Amino acid sequence: MRNFTLPERELMGSGHLGCQGCGGALAMRYVLKALGEKTIVVIPACCWTIIAGPFPYSSLKVPVLHTAFETAAVAASGVRAALDIQGDTETTVIAWAGDGGTFDIGLQSLSGAAERNENIIYICYDNEAYMNTGIQRSGATPLLAWTTTTPEKTPKSEPKKDIMGIMVAHRIPYAATATIAYPDDFIRKVQKAKSIYGTKFLHVLAPCPPGWRAPSEWAIKLSRLAVQARVFPLYEVEDGERYTLNAPQADEPALPVSEYLKLQGRFSHLTEKDIQTIQGIIDKRWQKLLKLVQS
Amino acid sequence: MTPILTGTKKVVTGNHAVSYGVMLARAQVISAYPITPQTQVVELLSEFCANGTLRAKFIKVESEHSAMAALIGAASAGARTFTATSAHGLALMHEMLHWAAGARLPIVMANINRAMGPPWSVWTDQNDSLSQRDVGWMQVYCESNQEVLDTVIQAYKVAEKVFMPAMLVLDAFVLSHTAEPVEIPDQALVDQYLPPYQPIYKLDVNDPHSFGALAPPDVYMELRYKMHRAMEDALAEWARADEEYHELFGRRYGLIEPYRTDDADLILVTSGTVTSTAREVIDELRAEGRRVGLLKIRVFRPFPAQFVREAVANARKVAVIDRNISFGMGGIFAQEIKAALYNACDRPPIFGFVAGLGGRDITPHVITEIIEYAESHDDPEDLIWVGVKR
Amino acid sequence: MKKPIVFTSEREMPPMAVSLADMGHNRTGGWRYLRPIYLEKIAPCKNACPVGNDIPRILSLVSEGRYEDAWRLFRETSPLPGVCGRVCYHPCESFCNRKNFDEALSIAAIERFVADACFELEDKIPERPKRSEKIAVVGSGPAGLACAYFLAKDGYAVTVFEAASQPGGMLRLGIPSYRLPRDVLDREIELIAHWGVEFRTNTTIGHDLSIERLWEQHDAVFIATGAHRGRALNIPGEEFALQGLEFLKAVNAGQAVSVGTRVLIIGGGNTAMDCARTALRLGAQPLVVYRRMREEMPAIAEEVEEAEHEGVQFEFLAAPVAIRRLNGKLEVECIRMRLGEPDASGRRRPIPIPGSEFVLRADSVLKAVGEEPDLSFLSEHLETSEGIVIERAHGVLERAGIFIGGDAQTGPSTVAQAIRSGKEAAQAIKSFLRGERPPKPHKLEEALRINFHYFTHAPRVSTPQLPISERITNFVETKRAISGAQARAEASRCFSCGVCNNCDNCWVFCPDAAITHTNGTYRIDYDFCKGCGVCAEECPRNVISLVEEEL
Repeated sequence: MRNFTLPERELMGSGHLGCQGCGGALAMRYVLKALGEKTIVVIPACCWTIIAGPFPYSSLKVPVLHTAFETAAVAASGVRAALDIQGDTETTVIAWAGDGGTFDIGLQSLSGAAERNENIIYICYDNEAYMNTGIQRSGATPLLAWTTTTPEKTPKSEPKKDIMGIMVAHRIPYAATATIAYPDDFIRKVQKAKSIYGTKFLHVLAPCPPGWRAPSEWAIKLSRLAVQARVFPLYEVEDGERYTLNAPQADEPALPVSEYLKLQGRFSHLTEKDIQTIQGIIDKRWQKLLKLVQS
Repeated sequence: MTPILTGTKKVVTGNHAVSYGVMLARAQVISAYPITPQTQVVELLSEFCANGTLRAKFIKVESEHSAMAALIGAASAGARTFTATSAHGLALMHEMLHWAAGARLPIVMANINRAMGPPWSVWTDQNDSLSQRDVGWMQVYCESNQEVLDTVIQAYKVAEKVFMPAMLVLDAFVLSHTAEPVEIPDQALVDQYLPPYQPIYKLDVNDPHSFGALAPPDVYMELRYKMHRAMEDALAEWARADEEYHELFGRRYGLIEPYRTDDADLILVTSGTVTSTAREVIDELRAEGRRVGLLKIRVFRPFPAQFVREAVANARKVAVIDRNISFGMGGIFAQEIKAALYNACDRPPIFGFVAGLGGRDITPHVITEIIEYAESHDDPEDLIWVGVKR
Repeated sequence: MKKPIVFTSEREMPPMAVSLADMGHNRTGGWRYLRPIYLEKIAPCKNACPVGNDIPRILSLVSEGRYEDAWRLFRETSPLPGVCGRVCYHPCESFCNRKNFDEALSIAAIERFVADACFELEDKIPERPKRSEKIAVVGSGPAGLACAYFLAKDGYAVTVFEAASQPGGMLRLGIPSYRLPRDVLDREIELIAHWGVEFRTNTTIGHDLSIERLWEQHDAVFIATGAHRGRALNIPGEEFALQGLEFLKAVNAGQAVSVGTRVLIIGGGNTAMDCARTALRLGAQPLVVYRRMREEMPAIAEEVEEAEHEGVQFEFLAAPVAIRRLNGKLEVECIRMRLGEPDASGRRRPIPIPGSEFVLRADSVLKAVGEEPDLSFLSEHLETSEGIVIERAHGVLERAGIFIGGDAQTGPSTVAQAIRSGKEAAQAIKSFLRGERPPKPHKLEEALRINFHYFTHAPRVSTPQLPISERITNFVETKRAISGAQARAEASRCFSCGVCNNCDNCWVFCPDAAITHTNGTYRIDYDFCKGCGVCAEECPRNVISLVEEEL
C-alpha cells in the first residue's frame, strides 16, 4: 500500500480534453501536485496542446506557455532566465513534452539546454508514438509495434531510442524514469528534481489507451505491467553516474513480457517468435541496467 | 574593459552600435547563435554581461531557432529581450518569428543583411530579411551606425507600445564592420525615454494564464485582425517615438526620408546604405541642375504607404533600387511601392532596378546609370537587372 | 467557470491568445457511457457467515488493536462470539478471497481472540424502552439463546425454559469441553442474562408446563428444543449399541461412564467425531466405522483431522449389519461397501458388496448416525388439521404467536445456523407483535474482483495446539489462543472486500480529477467523469462498480 500522502491541491482542473484513461493527463496531475502553484509549464506541440484547452481557456491553474514542437527545453530556458533576472528563483519551470517532442524533433534544443545545465525540469510523457496526430511512429515507439505509419505487415523494425542513455550522457544532475501506476515514486522524483539545481530529466511512461489499442480502464494496469515486466524499469541517475533501481527489485521474479504485450492491440499481430525477440532485448537491457546499478 | 561613458562620441562599427543600443535599452535576456557577419554584436554583449555593464542573462543556445524560442519564453515571462542574426540564421528562425509576432511579444532583433546560399555568401543583400516580410515583425532598414544605435532604442519603444516584435536591419560589412563616429546617448536620458517593459499579461504564478493555446476558427481571425491593427498603429507610434527621441537626443529619422524631392521630376527610392551613396549622387546631379530627388524607406513594416504616396505625388517618374529579388516577379521594394500607389489618383510610372546582390558594390556610377536609364525611358519597366554580365 | 466565454466583438478579446477561464464549462461527463458508482458490496466471508457477522469491519478494528470495538460489533450480530470462535465450522474462511492470493484469513482464531480478550469486559447495557410483551423461548441452545438475546436487546421480557439443569442446550450437552470450555459458555450465557433474559431451568415443556399454558401466559413462544433423538441403526442387536449423543451428554454432565477399551463408533458426522475423541480421552481405543470414504464424511474436516492426529482409527467403506454379545464382549458384523453413483446429497451412494461380511470386536458400540427433533410435547391442538406448518425463512408456525427454529425445525445443523435461526425468529416475533410483515432480506452483490497488486503476501497465522500427548488424557481445550500481535497481523491481512477503507486509489488515479474526497467519503463529479473506468479497475477491493449510462 502507499505510504505517502498525495498533495491535496488540484492544479489540473476537470473538463480537460484528454481521452478516457489518459496517462499523460494523470501524469500532469501528479506533477503539479508535487510542485505546487509556483510552477510554470512550457508545452510544445503534443497531446497536451489540446488537453490544456483552447483559447480562451486553460485546464491548468498554473501559467502555461504553449510553444513550437521542437522548443520545449529552450523556451523553458528562456522563461527561467527571465524569472532569474527578475529575481524570482523560487518558481519552478518545467518543460512538458511528448515523446515526439523529446526523442525526435525536440532533441536538439533539449541537448542544448542539458549541456548548458539550464535550471529546469524537463518531463517527457512518453506515449510511444505521435498520438495527437493519430498514432504515427516516433523514435520512442517500441520494436514491432503497430502504428498508422508502421502497419501490421511492416511493424516498427527498430527498437525504442534510449533517451535515458542520451540524457545521462549529458551528465545532468538528475535523470529518472517514472510512471503513473507508481504515484509515490513519481511524486518523490518530481520533488527531488525540484530540490536540485540544473537540468533534471524525467522520462515518464504514459499509457495511451486509444493509441495502444487497449481499454481505458487498463491505463494504470499497463503502466504497472510495464514496470513488472521490466519493459520500463523505474530508476534514477544522479550526475550521470550514480544509478538507483526503484522497481522492480533486482531479486523480484520477472513478469514475462507477453503479460504486458497481450493486453494491447498494437501488439496483437506478434508471433511467439516476435515475443521471444522482445523478451530477449528486455532481458539484455535489464542485465545492463543491473550492472550500472551495481557499479 | 573600461566603463562606458555614455553621452559621449565613440568610433564604433555598426555591429557594436547595435550592442551599445541594446546595453542602453537594458535588455534583460539575450539569446543568440554565432553567424557571420552578426557575431560581433553578441561578442560585445557577452563582454557587457560578463563585466556587469549590462545586467542580463545571456543564453548561448545551439541554434537560431532556439535563440528565438528562448526569447519567446523570456518575453512571455516579462523580460526585455534581444537577439541578433543574419541570413541562414534568420531563415532558421522563421517558425519562431511567426510565434513571437502571434504571441505579441515585443522582442527586438538585429538582422545583418546577408545573401542567402547556396552558393555560400557572407556579403550583403536583403533577401534574408525580406523573406520574412509576412511574419508579423516590424522591419526598419538603417543607413548609418548612429541610426542603428538610435533605432535599437526606438524599436523597443514602439514594440512595447504595440506589442509587436521589431527587426532592425543593417547591411553586412558596409555597415556592420565599418566604424563611424557614433554618439552614445546618456543612460539616464535613455531610461527616461524607455521605461521598463510593462506587459499586459505575462507568465506569473500569482496570476496564472495560458499563452498561445489552440484557437478555433471563431476566434483566430479576430486575433489576426488585432495584429494587423497593431501594425497600423505602429506607424503613428514610430512617428511619435521618433519625435520624442528627437526632443531628448536631437536626432530623428522619420518613417521615410524624402531628400530634395519637392520639385523632383524623378525620385529615386532606396533603403539601407545605398541611400548614403545615392544622396551624394543626387547632390551632384542637382548641382548640374537636374531635378532629381531621393526617397529613403526606413520603416518597411508597417509599410508607410500614405507617406510614400505623398512623397512621390508630384514626381514624373520613380526609380526603385532593390538589393533583393523575388524570383519570377522582381524587386520587392518596387512591388511594395507599386502596390501602395496603385489606388492613388496621381501615380507616376515606376522603374524597378535590381542591383548589388550578394554584396556587389552599388557605386555612384551605378546609381547615376540607373537615374539616367529612368530619365531616358518613357515606358516604365518592372525589372531592370543592373550590371549583370550578359 | 460554468459557462463558456462568448466574444461578440474583437474589442472584447485580449491582444493575444491568453486564457481567461478554466475548462469548467466543458462538461466532459457527456463523453461517458459507463458510470462508476460507489457500491459497497458484501464480502464473501460475511455473506457466507450464517450469523451475518460484519467480518471486514471487525477485522479492520482488530488490526488497529480496537478489540473492544470489535467485540461490540460481534455482539451486534451474535451473542456467542466466544462459542463461535471455537466451534463454528467457519464457512467465512472457505469463501475468503484471500485464498486465491495466498491463504484464507484465520477468522475463527481472531473471533476467539477477541472474545477471550474481552472476556472480563463489563457489558454496558444501553437505556432502551421496556416493552410489555412477554416471550417464552423453549430451549436454551444457540437458537434459543440468540432469539432471547435479540428480543431482550429490544426491551422485550424474555423467559427461557430449559429442561436441563443449566442452560446451553447442545452447546453444553453435546459439545465436549476440549472444544468448548464451559467457562466460555457460562460467561456468554451470563452476558445474555445480563440483558434481562430470565432462565427457568429444570423445566420441561410438555411435562412441567404444557405448551398451551405457556402460550396463554406469553405473547409469543419460540420453540428451539433442538434435535436430540438419536437415529436407529435398524439392525439386529441394536439394543447393544449406545446412542452416541447420550454418551456425550453423560460425559459432559460429569458422570462416570465406562466404555471399555475398544469402542466402535458408527457414523461419520460431528457427533461421531466427538464420541471418538471423548472415548479416547477416557482411555479407550476408538474405531470409527463409516460406510463411505473419508471425503464423504459429513463431519468438519478439521475435526476428522484432529481425531486422526489424536489416534482415532477409521474403518471406511464398512457398515454394521448385526451386533452380538459374546462372552461380555460385542461382535459387530459389518459388510464391505463400494461407492456407486452420487445420491441426492451429491455424495456417492454406498452399495454393499455381497459376501464381504467381516467381524469387528469391541467393548462397546456407540451409534452416531444422526439425530432428529422430538416434538412430541406439542399438544394435539397444535398438531390438528394442517399440522405444523413451518414458514421456512422465519420459522413461524401457522398458529399465530408460536414460532419454531434451530435444529428443532431443520434437524441437526451447525451452531451458526442455529444462531441465525434464533435471530430470524426474534425478528419474526418482533414483526408479529407489531403487526408488520417481516422485513425482506436484501441481497447484496458479493465483492469478488480483488486487485491483488495492492496487497503483499503474508502467511496465515497458525493456531497453537496442545501437544497430542497433553490432550488425550484430559478434557482441556486443545486449541490455544493466538496473541494480540498475531491477531492484529492476521486481521491486517484482510482485503476488506467490498468495503471502502479510504485507500484513496480512486482519487489518486483519476486522470480527470473528477473525484473529491472529504472526511473519508468520496464523491464522483459526474459533470466531468469521462467514465474511463480506471477507478473501478484500481479499487483494490471491488467497491466501485461500472454501470451502463442510460441514454
